[in-house]
Amino acid sequence: MPTLQEIGARLAGGEPLDSPDCEAVVASSDLLGLGALADDCRRRRQGDRVTFVRVQQIPADALDAPEVAVLPAARELRIAGPFPEGRDGVRSVERVVSAAGAIPVTGFALDDLVERNASDASAVADVLAALRDAGLAALAEARADRLSGPQWLAAAGDAGLKIARLTVGEPTAEDGGAALIRRVAGWGGALAHVHAFAPLPRNLPPQPTTGYRDLRQVALARLLVDNVGSIQVDWSLYGPKLAQVALIFGASDVDAVSAEDGGTLGARRAPLAEIERNIRASGLVPVERNGRFENVGT
Amino acid sequence: MTAAPADLAARKVTAGERLTRGDALALYRHAPTHELGRLADLVRARKHPDGIVTYIVDRNVNYTNVCVARCNFCAFYREVGAADGYVLGFDEIFAKIEETVALGGVQLLLQGGHNPDLPLRWYEDLFRAVKQRYPDFKLHALSPPEVIHLSRLSQLPVRTVLQRLIAAGMDSIPGGGAEILVDRVRRLLNCYSKASAAEWLGVMETAHELGLRTTATMMYGSVERPEERIEHLLRLRELQDRTGGFTAFITWSYQPPNTELGGSEATGVEYLRTLAIARLVLDNFDNLQASWVTQGGKIGQLSLAFGANDMGSVMIEENVVRAAGAAYCMDEVEITRNVEDAGFVARRRNMHYELLGEPFFRQHAVPRFTELDVAREEGDEHVPPELDRYPARSRAGKLRQQSR
Repeated sequence: MPTLQEIGARLAGGEPLDSPDCEAVVASSDLLGLGALADDCRRRRQGDRVTFVRVQQIPADALDAPEVAVLPAARELRIAGPFPEGRDGVRSVERVVSAAGAIPVTGFALDDLVERNASDASAVADVLAALRDAGLAALAEARADRLSGPQWLAAAGDAGLKIARLTVGEPTAEDGGAALIRRVAGWGGALAHVHAFAPLPRNLPPQPTTGYRDLRQVALARLLVDNVGSIQVDWSLYGPKLAQVALIFGASDVDAVSAEDGGTLGARRAPLAEIERNIRASGLVPVERNGRFENVGT
Repeated sequence: MTAAPADLAARKVTAGERLTRGDALALYRHAPTHELGRLADLVRARKHPDGIVTYIVDRNVNYTNVCVARCNFCAFYREVGAADGYVLGFDEIFAKIEETVALGGVQLLLQGGHNPDLPLRWYEDLFRAVKQRYPDFKLHALSPPEVIHLSRLSQLPVRTVLQRLIAAGMDSIPGGGAEILVDRVRRLLNCYSKASAAEWLGVMETAHELGLRTTATMMYGSVERPEERIEHLLRLRELQDRTGGFTAFITWSYQPPNTELGGSEATGVEYLRTLAIARLVLDNFDNLQASWVTQGGKIGQLSLAFGANDMGSVMIEENVVRAAGAAYCMDEVEITRNVEDAGFVARRRNMHYELLGEPFFRQHAVPRFTELDVAREEGDEHVPPELDRYPARSRAGKLRQQSR
């Protein structure tokens, strides 16, 4: 089995990981070695830039509210929750898009749309087309552990909708947590329709994952899933400390920074100042993006 | 081509050589975080090749929150006479000891404010009463500034105060109150008057001479510069060279919420880098603790990859960090799970780092806890009756005693 140093040398030379390399990184218990390898890999792609997005969530069950108040700092409006069925649902999305103006609106989970349409490809395509026509900038997520395969990513791409982030719902112990990452890595070209892969589970179990496991997942995701541009961590779900350390273990995009202002805490404690300070403190350069993954920073 | 200073310093670590001030600064400023971690892990593995990560089952008891020091980074203290100022009664402390013993605990970490109404005799009586009831139970008690406060209050030399406290039952001294051992910083933090850098080190040196073992700490991330963090470590290393009395080093980040100083907390990466550089500079310290209580369980566990070989204390109770808003909790089950998940063997220890055995919960039925206990329930304002035995020095204390 190749060593991490040998794999690193080959990656630095521009070679992709082969099967024994993948086995070696999955089998490795050298957390810092994996982190350094993933960090090199991510720096070759993005240099020292880290993108982040300030998100305003709009609950899907509140889409009928008479007014959509858009926060000035929001760079993405994200409709959170299942898609309201029928014409009313599409009209609600149109209202949010209209209120958002130039701010991209994302929403819904691809796997949920597939499930609600009983995996009927034609019906799914119709919903995706309707959402695109309503002005949705991207699907908010696709939960990799609930998708039957990459064909649904391709379906979204065919409909002209990108997936903002490929996520993981439930944590899995299979293969030390690497099984799902390997599965995603095998989805090949369909991942071109995905902006970012967020490999840490979103449904937090009663017994929390550990720091070692989280960072290993992030590093493995960067090393194995080379068809997705960014590995993403969630600022609000995982907290500033773990999320910041993940930035030196292969992650290059931070999701879910609050669009609220600093309130009574003042500008220096506002979410924008906090995220930028944390990114800089890890030796990286913060770049703000919007829901379409376009840079919007000054 | 000449190698960069950080690379040269890294080679010195690999070769087992001592780092200079310049080496330490070069590594702290310029080494990639993974590299700093790798070097710290190398040194940890040299000192602890058995792969054992230790922890202690004990309880942080803050016997009073009344304090005249007024450090501007502290969210815990209350001024003399404050309505929510408290002093724990001896019976309350005995009850906490019994709860601690039931969870496999072997000592109290006993620290508190500089309360002018608690004379040296109060401490002596407390320690003797504890030892009479629980002869094997250890008192890891009174950080150097508290000892200095008692020295000033009693107008006795530090050595005499320590001798009397040892005679009463004090077993070891916690390294609190060190903050940054540079007087420029201490003046800015308004903690120079409670203890200058030399005074803090002097108490520790005297304690070591008297046969006590102590720990050392560093609170970083307030107003100090990186050079001053390194200076702090070098001063500890120098004293340890002379006495060998420190058992462990613990660093944590300043916790700004609810403090007069305010500001922002240092980040997780800064914590891991600071821990790692401490492991490299403090080549004469065997043990470095992870500060999960300020960093959370995940960063606490990651500390084990950045030079720490000890998960600190199960703690059971904590009041000072909580006052600044942090509320992390890890019981023994959770500490053990994190240690083993990181590939280490978890073992209980005492303050001297003697191994006491496997995790207590694997041999005894103990309740899980999901949040740390506090000194007292909110709203409990009762004044312990034994306080009347000790003449108060503060005006508020005198008025209270006159009214009883």
